[in-house]
Amino acid sequence: MKVQELAERLELVAATKLFDRDVTGVYISDMVSDVIANAKAGDLLVTAQAHANVIAAANLVDTCAIVITQGKPLGEDVVKMAEKAEISVFTTALNRWQVATKLYEAGVR
Amino acid sequence: MTVEPVTLRYEMVNVRPGYLMIEQEEHTLVRRSYFASDRVPPWEEYREGNAFWRPQGAAQTFQFDVRDTVTGEVVPFGELAGLLYYACCSRDSTVYRIGDLAHDQRISLYVAISTEDEEGPVLMPAEKVRVLNALFNERLKSPGKKVLILPDLFGLHTQITYQQIAIDFGLTSME
Repeated sequence: MKVQELAERLELVAATKLFDRDVTGVYISDMVSDVIANAKAGDLLVTAQAHANVIAAANLVDTCAIVITQGKPLGEDVVKMAEKAEISVFTTALNRWQVATKLYEAGVR
Repeated sequence: MTVEPVTLRYEMVNVRPGYLMIEQEEHTLVRRSYFASDRVPPWEEYREGNAFWRPQGAAQTFQFDVRDTVTGEVVPFGELAGLLYYACCSRDSTVYRIGDLAHDQRISLYVAISTEDEEGPVLMPAEKVRVLNALFNERLKSPGKKVLILPDLFGLHTQITYQQIAIDFGLTSME
């Protein structure tokens, strides 16, 4: 499944331009060190953190996109950094568990 | 069609969760940092000869070693405080300017920041930095994307705060 299709199914709000890629897995974490150690390239990163180092970690491990939960707003600098790194970032009012549930329902395993 | 599993040359092993502790000597104001694998950050002040060390900050992070799956050699990275993404640095800095140029070629620049003692940080040897580069690059999937990790040739430890490194400060605060 592609990022765009998944975003539409989960009614995610785009915070950046879309950089469409295959979603090959999901990683849910609020720790950048955990993301660096355990997330895999192609994973969709689901997190409640919206700071610049989330982009740094996601870029390092090559996640396909980021979903920021609980309606956290992104700073303009974070949006620019993500777009430069060609990482799509979405926001949602849902919490991480609700996002995980919807991802499962959408067929992401 | 079956997809053959990709065998990676390097793997992260001995992953140890803990804290990067930053402390400062009360009289000389010298700063140093170290990794503590304790369950809670060690916030104690303590004397060491005439020196009196006070904790200044703590970040959740992890340490790891890297194993070469071909030779079995394990390379320790106990001195690595964290990786600093160029885009988290000041736009006026040398590392940002180089990182910005590298980005045009789809190369993402990171700097390996080492922990520091009273004399400052020890520069990570080039051979170890090569292993780090191989570890992260062989996992990338985006076509043409590369990661370039450099040792701190820029003396960034004097220019940055630890909060700029990709480690977890203030995680208990979700504001």
